[in-house]
Amino acid sequence: MPLDLQQLHDAVITGDNKVSHSITEQALEEGIDPLSLVNEYMMPAMDEVGRRFETNEYYVPELLLSARAMKASLGLIRPLLTACDVEPLGRVISGTVKGDLHDIGKNLVGSMLEGGGFEVFDLGTDVAPEQFVEAAKEHKAHIIALSALLTTTMPSMKLTVEAFIEDGTRDQVKIFIGGAPVTQEFADEIGADGYSKNAVDAVAQAKQWMAASA
Amino acid sequence: MLTRRDHLRKTLAHEGGGRLPMDFGSTAVTGVHASCVEQLREHYGLENRLVKICEPYQMLGEVEEDLAEVMGIDTVGVVPLNTLFGFPNENYKEFQTPWGQTVLVSEHFNTQVKPNGDVYIYPEGDMSVPPSGQMPSNGFFFDTIVRQPEIDEDNLDPEDNLEEFGLISEEDLEHYRVELDRLEGTDRAIVATLGGMAFGDIALVPAPFLKHPKGIRDIAEWYMSTAARQEYIHDVFSKQCDYALKNLEKLNEVLGERIDVVFLCGTDFGTQTSTFCSPQTFSELWAPYYRQVNDWIHRNTGWKTFKHSCGAVETFMEHFIDVGFDIINPVQCSASGMEPRQLKEKYGERLVFWGGGIDTQKTMPFGTPEEVREQVLERCEIFSRDGGFVFDSIHNLQALSPVENMVAMIDAVKEFNGEN
Repeated sequence: MPLDLQQLHDAVITGDNKVSHSITEQALEEGIDPLSLVNEYMMPAMDEVGRRFETNEYYVPELLLSARAMKASLGLIRPLLTACDVEPLGRVISGTVKGDLHDIGKNLVGSMLEGGGFEVFDLGTDVAPEQFVEAAKEHKAHIIALSALLTTTMPSMKLTVEAFIEDGTRDQVKIFIGGAPVTQEFADEIGADGYSKNAVDAVAQAKQWMAASA
Repeated sequence: MLTRRDHLRKTLAHEGGGRLPMDFGSTAVTGVHASCVEQLREHYGLENRLVKICEPYQMLGEVEEDLAEVMGIDTVGVVPLNTLFGFPNENYKEFQTPWGQTVLVSEHFNTQVKPNGDVYIYPEGDMSVPPSGQMPSNGFFFDTIVRQPEIDEDNLDPEDNLEEFGLISEEDLEHYRVELDRLEGTDRAIVATLGGMAFGDIALVPAPFLKHPKGIRDIAEWYMSTAARQEYIHDVFSKQCDYALKNLEKLNEVLGERIDVVFLCGTDFGTQTSTFCSPQTFSELWAPYYRQVNDWIHRNTGWKTFKHSCGAVETFMEHFIDVGFDIINPVQCSASGMEPRQLKEKYGERLVFWGGGIDTQKTMPFGTPEEVREQVLERCEIFSRDGGFVFDSIHNLQALSPVENMVAMIDAVKEFNGEN
C-alpha cells in the first residue's frame, strides 16, 4: 500500500494506535527520516490534540487515546534517534511524589511532553526526593515534573525541592509541579519554578523554559 | 418538636427556615478519616476506645453515636454487606496503621507489610491471590492495584465486566433488615448506600473486591473505552441496569419508608478544571441508565436520590437534574466553574447540595480556624437559603486535617444554627 504519512498525523489525532504503529513501521522500512516523522507529523498532531483539549472538544479519554497512538509510533522511532545522537528539545524527569500512587495526570503530561519533542524519564509513582535528584544527574535533565493528587502528599513536593537544594544542583534544573490540589500559590511557597494546570499547559511552560535557556 | 429526620426532610423538600442539617459518616463519600475520628473523640473528651474502620479502602472511621451527638450530626448510614475489598465488617481485630494509630478492622482485613513499610490488602481477605490494594508507608489510605488481564480486542466480552453485578442475595437483604432494626428508634435520617447502581465508578471498575477480575479493569483503559468502546460500555451498563431495577423492588420491600436518601452512584465526571467527557457523551452513555433507575425510585418510593461527582461539573448539573437526581455531592467549589452563589442561583431550586461546606483541598488542611469558620458561615449562608442544603465537608474529612480546624467547622455550623 502506498505510504501516506498524513495517516500518521491523523491516527495520532484520532487515537488509532494500530494505524500509527503500522504507518510508522512502513515509513521506517522505506527509509523515511525518523526525525521528520516526529517533527512534521507527530508533533503537529499533538499540538492539535492539545488545542482540542483546551477548547473542550477533547477530554481525558481522547488525550489518553492520542497519547497511546503517539507512543506506539515513538516506540519504533526513539531507538533510531538515540542511535543517531539526536538531541531532544529537553530532558525531563517526571514522577508522582512520595506517598502518592496516582499516575494518570503524570502519564498524560509525560506523553504530551514527548509529543512536544522532549525526552521524558518517568520514575513512576511514590518517588522519593533523592530518586529525583539522582535521576536528574544521571540523565542530565533540564526539567523536573512533580505530580501529586493528595493534600497529604503535597509536602513531598517541598521535600523534593529541598533535596535539590541540599544536593547543590537546584540551579541546574527547572522544577514544575501539578496535580488537582496544587496551585501556583503553593508552587511559589515551596520554591518551585512553575505550576501547570494541565498537560497542555505543561508543554507550553517547558518549551518556554527551553527557549529562554537557549 | 421536629426531629433531626424532620429537619433533613424539610431541606430535601427545599423548605427554608429550619435547622441546617449536617452529615458526617453516613456514606463513604461523607466520611471521616480514622485519624480524624480519633482526634475528635479525644478533643471532646469521649470514652477512649479504638476507632473502628467502617470503610477500609479510604480508612474511614466509624462515627459512633456519642461523637455524632457531640458534633450535631443529623444522619446515619446503612451500607451494603461487603466493603470495597469484598469482605464484611465483622469480628474486629486490632491493626497498627502506617501512621501509628491502632484501629479495629474486620477479621477479613488481611494485609502484608513489605520491608519498606508499604501495606498490601487482599480481596475477600484471601491472601492466596494477588493483593488488590496498596497503602504506601507514608500514606493514609489504600489505592487500588490494577489487575488488568491482557485485552483481546476481538473477543471482548461485556460479561467480564458484569461479574460483580447480579440479583441481590437474601444474605444482602437480611443485612439491610438487621441494620434497620439496629437503628430502630433513631431520630436521625437514614441514608442507604445501594450497591450495584454505580455506572462506571472508577473506584469500582478495577474491582478491588474481586479475586480475579476480568474484562476492562485498568483505569486509563476504562476511560479510553468511554470514547472508543462505547458499544461495549452500553452492553455493560444495560445489563447492570436490568439487575438494578430488579434489585430495587426487593430493596424497597426491606427499606421502605424507613429511609429518606439513597446513595446510588459515585462516578466522578469532573476533574479539577474540566470534565472526563462531554455533556453529549454523558447524555448518550450514562443518561439512559440513570434515568431508568431514578424514574423507578421516584415512581415507587419516597426516597431522594444522591449522586456523587467530584470536580468541575457545573456543565453537567442540568443533566443530573434531567436524569432525575435529587441531590448532588460533594459540590467541589474549589474546582473550575463551581462558584457557590452561581450554583445556588442556577440549580438551587432543583438540586439539593449535600457538601460544599468547607474546602478540603486548601482551607481545612492548611487554613486557620478563623478562615475555616468564615468559609463555613459563608457557605451555610449561600447554600441554605430556601432549604436544599445538607452541610458536609467537600468529600471526606481527610487525614492531617488539624483538629482545631475540624472543631472550628463544627462550631461554625452550630453558630449558624444558633446553637452555640
